[in-house]
Amino acid sequence: MVRLFLVMRVIRRYTLNDMLKDFLLLVLKGIRYRPMRSWLTVIGIVIGIMLVVIILALSSGVKNVINQQLQMFGSDLLIILPGKETSIVTGLLGGQKFTYNDIMDLEKLPGVKSVAPFDVGSMNADFKGEKKSVLVHSSRWDKMSALFLESRGTRMAEGVWPTDEGANEVVLGYLAGKSLFKNSARVGDEIIVQSKRFRVAGILQRTGEQTDDNSFYMSWDMFHMISGVNPGVVTAMLRMQPGENINLVTRQIRFQLEKQTEVTDFTILTPEKTTAIVGSIVQIVELVLVIIAFVSLVVGAVGIMNTMYTSVLERTKQIGIMKAVGASRDSIMSLFLIESGIIGLVGGVFGILLGLAVSYGISVAAMNFGAPSLFSFVSIDYFELVVILIITFITGVLSGLFPARAASRLEPAEALRYE
Amino acid sequence: MEKSEQERRDPVCGMNLTGLLETFEEKIDGEAFYFCSEPCAKRFKTDPKKFQGDPMIHLHDLWKVFHDGSVTTEVLRAINVHIWKGDFTVIIGASGSGKSTLLNMIGMLDRPSSGGLFFEGRDIAATSDDDRTILRSSKFGFVFQQYNLIPWLTAYDNVLLPRVFAEAKGDMSREHIEKHFSDIGLGERMNHRPTELSGGEQQRVAILRALANDPEVIIGDEPTGNLDSTTGNKILDMLIKLNKEEGRTLIIVTHDVDIAKNADQVIVIKDGKTIPSHARHTKIYAE
Repeated sequence: MVRLFLVMRVIRRYTLNDMLKDFLLLVLKGIRYRPMRSWLTVIGIVIGIMLVVIILALSSGVKNVINQQLQMFGSDLLIILPGKETSIVTGLLGGQKFTYNDIMDLEKLPGVKSVAPFDVGSMNADFKGEKKSVLVHSSRWDKMSALFLESRGTRMAEGVWPTDEGANEVVLGYLAGKSLFKNSARVGDEIIVQSKRFRVAGILQRTGEQTDDNSFYMSWDMFHMISGVNPGVVTAMLRMQPGENINLVTRQIRFQLEKQTEVTDFTILTPEKTTAIVGSIVQIVELVLVIIAFVSLVVGAVGIMNTMYTSVLERTKQIGIMKAVGASRDSIMSLFLIESGIIGLVGGVFGILLGLAVSYGISVAAMNFGAPSLFSFVSIDYFELVVILIITFITGVLSGLFPARAASRLEPAEALRYE
Repeated sequence: MEKSEQERRDPVCGMNLTGLLETFEEKIDGEAFYFCSEPCAKRFKTDPKKFQGDPMIHLHDLWKVFHDGSVTTEVLRAINVHIWKGDFTVIIGASGSGKSTLLNMIGMLDRPSSGGLFFEGRDIAATSDDDRTILRSSKFGFVFQQYNLIPWLTAYDNVLLPRVFAEAKGDMSREHIEKHFSDIGLGERMNHRPTELSGGEQQRVAILRALANDPEVIIGDEPTGNLDSTTGNKILDMLIKLNKEEGRTLIIVTHDVDIAKNADQVIVIKDGKTIPSHARHTKIYAE
């Protein structure tokens, strides 16, 4: 620490134009003389930082997607899911489903305005010879149209909602219609889903939520006919009457659902509970992020330290020469610290760029498989990136500290004897 | 220091006269002075005032001991040397005699194990690293046998290097340096790396580098040792010119007896000790 202070004192002793510029040039020339070694060290940092950025970008994407959906639902919407509250994901993956009637019976409860049951599945779609795997949501047409209009204000961009539950008709999300296939679809076009011909009845306006915009919407009966899966409700959206007591309604729903035998454990998500669950997931994600970030930074730092120690050994004679021609301990230390700082910083810059590129790639790939878009450049926290850069620079400097100290303490004559 | 002890030292070369078989006495203005050899006595007579003041560099009973595990090597043993401002001093001795170590002490590249090391009257044996660096950077220029240029810098950048580290930044414009390069015939080779230069060219660049901070003392550790005799002589001429024409103090370590012929003072070192002066002067000058 004392040495660091002394180095700062040296840096202050001259103007930036003088010493720092000279030292910086000197260091850059040295780095350029050993490009392979320098780049390999940089790569060590790049990989660590890249991981951190990918996790940061994708986790902020996840947060955004969840928040968007929460906002869309509003405060009078309850979501009913199979599975225990503590393990919703396991419940969903477990394949448990409510029966259609059990869910629709909830509509009769006092305080409940409407219930929309949903089943979801991935299906193969073929439009003008181009095949894609798409996410298909199914419910009753009137339930879907009401949900889109009431909770999000989304209407049809083209066409109308079908009314016939038995007709071979499909509604496309905005992106599913416009950009999922090379040719954009129009009302009246034919799309083959799971080998059955469907007519495009309508294309929805953009909801802003990537999953929904990339999905197909199908009637309950048609979905279960062509998917071959057991009919059932994976999620139900329940809208309360305005001004109702949310706890009372929730208790009634719970009482009613406990009577059915298909799903033993279920969860009723209120907006508050959803926020809390999302919050705790985000916290875990962030904790994992911090641990990974820390580990990768430590690995990178060890890499820099190793390179700098080797570099001190390799350049012992040069250190002696520099000392002979007038370099002080502080100057030698500054040179090595600047070098390790630059390596850290360059690693940080490339790590961030690569991380962003990979996140973008993952997001695009995920979208092609029907998953929501987890990444957008708008959702990046640029402040976090600046913090990462500062951290990599400081990590670089700190990893160079011990090797730099070792270098600066060599007696010139001793260093000059080194071959 | 006891007066009696001081009287037993040669005022010119600083040698301890105690125990010498033969010393030379000169009486100047009624006062008796003792010398290790005739040449020292002669030099004293030419300018007694100069030699009664402080020498520029003064080594007093200086020891340098290296420890390697249980092995202890006494490389320098009770060295007493005076080096006077503007003199051309040659340190001569066989390989392993300790002459380079002695030069490292004088140039403050290494610290003595014990004894006094004075520069312009100031004891610098135990001063801080920073002080030694400042003194080394402002007063000394080094020329090494191996040239010791930084391999990843161009000749130009190598010459500029002492300036980068110097406390006071003097005029070192590009034009200024370019002129120096032209003067030594390397105007076209300025932007070459050391590996692209011949030995003689590298040594000329090293001399330019040694002059970068306008030092009072030029130190050469076998500067011609790696060069053929023609190139070596040219390098030597350059160095001697810096002494004779610009008045810079020049200290050269060599085992080439011919170089010693031009010197104002010759220090012969054997097994870590300066050889009794009578013998050394007569022997060297005889050759």
